[in-house]
Amino acid sequence: LRALIAILLATSAAGCAAVPQNRRARLADPMMSVTDEPLDAYRRQKLYDTREGAAGGDGTAAGGGCGCQ
Amino acid sequence: VRSRFVAAALVIAFGSSRALAEDAKPTDAQILGPEDTALRIESITTRITGYNQYGFGYQSKAGPIGGPGSERLLVFEPQVEVVATQGDRVTHRIWVPIDVVTAASPHSFEPTPDVVSGASRKLEGGTFQWSTTYKADRGSQVALTSGLHIENPFRSWNAGLSGSRALADQNTVVAGSVVGILDWFDRFLITGVRNGRAERSTTMASAGVTQVLTPTTIVHVNYGLTVQEGELGNTWNVVPLANGERGAELLPSSRTRHALVGRMSQFLPWNGALRLYYRFYTDDWGIEAHSVEGPDHATPDAYALSRRSLPLSHADRAIFLHHSRAPRRHAPRRRQRPCPASVSHPWRQARRGRARAGFGAAPTLRGRVRSLLSLERLANGRRIVRPRPALLK
Repeated sequence: LRALIAILLATSAAGCAAVPQNRRARLADPMMSVTDEPLDAYRRQKLYDTREGAAGGDGTAAGGGCGCQ
Repeated sequence: VRSRFVAAALVIAFGSSRALAEDAKPTDAQILGPEDTALRIESITTRITGYNQYGFGYQSKAGPIGGPGSERLLVFEPQVEVVATQGDRVTHRIWVPIDVVTAASPHSFEPTPDVVSGASRKLEGGTFQWSTTYKADRGSQVALTSGLHIENPFRSWNAGLSGSRALADQNTVVAGSVVGILDWFDRFLITGVRNGRAERSTTMASAGVTQVLTPTTIVHVNYGLTVQEGELGNTWNVVPLANGERGAELLPSSRTRHALVGRMSQFLPWNGALRLYYRFYTDDWGIEAHSVEGPDHATPDAYALSRRSLPLSHADRAIFLHHSRAPRRHAPRRRQRPCPASVSHPWRQARRGRARAGFGAAPTLRGRVRSLLSLERLANGRRIVRPRPALLK
């Protein structure tokens, strides 16, 4: 975890050099999105709720049903 | 005299030209017309997901006393999302996911149903979620969200507030959110008798940063804190006791969860994108989990296929690596089952005293702490679960 934090800090520090808007065309492509499509996020959330044996939290309603809550 | 005359002429000329320019400058409304505040639907998206679960768990009654019972499960999950705008600044989003579950929980020895199958052998649960986003300016927006989840015998309400702000010429975006959730559901005895109502409250806060690193690289880090209070079990789960009988699953009444997510997207020269995902999770029940997804190689074609809402995922053949560690502190009396079958579950490890990996050997961390490695595949939007009988022996 410490290594990961160090990598994140290093990459974040490198990001201090601003990229002008006219060079961000590739970042605007939907496939470059770093956030989930909302419906895909629901699928992902269900997996994590199941894995961690936890219902609710993370901004989603805590439904039962699958018996995994 | 001549210089004064020239100066006066300049003042008159520039002053009058500025006044004329201001008079002639058209307003935004004159160019674009009056702002349209009518509700306009921008998109309607649908998605269908299927879950197929095989496996056994100790809290299921569909098996011998003291042994795991069947937890066969099949879920279909249609979803629909409608996005509508109201003027230039307001965006509404309505989202309705529905879960259709067969064998909502494993039934007991035939023909006697257990408490769960009697309540919800087949189950339909649905959520209505609504959010409204207001764009204050080019780089700032705030959103309100609320939702209702209905499921027999379960009700859940949630409401939240979120906001984001772009900085450094939109190279950096910081965002935060707060959500409160209240669950209200029937309490059951393990004999199948309803025993009033139970409540659970959840408060969640998150903060994140998205940073452009290069013209082809973008990273995102997000931290989420979740605090839960109340009845954290479903009240009907059972656990095998030392005397050979079954008892109710008892859980602590509070739980604090921490999740840290890191993402990276890298544009590739052949018009593709390489995406990486990492999530670290820990809570005060002693669970720690590391989840890695990727590398996810997205292409425009694959993404378009997904956007057309076919049951295919742009994360085709993504590999999920889940690494968990056994609890070190208090171990509450809790279910001992794989859920779903291929998922490593620290509670089971704690109960059994040791962990066995589905493939290869389980690595040992810091002496007595055991770890478990499990592998899942997501192919074409369908989760493939591999039962691991060795874990259940």
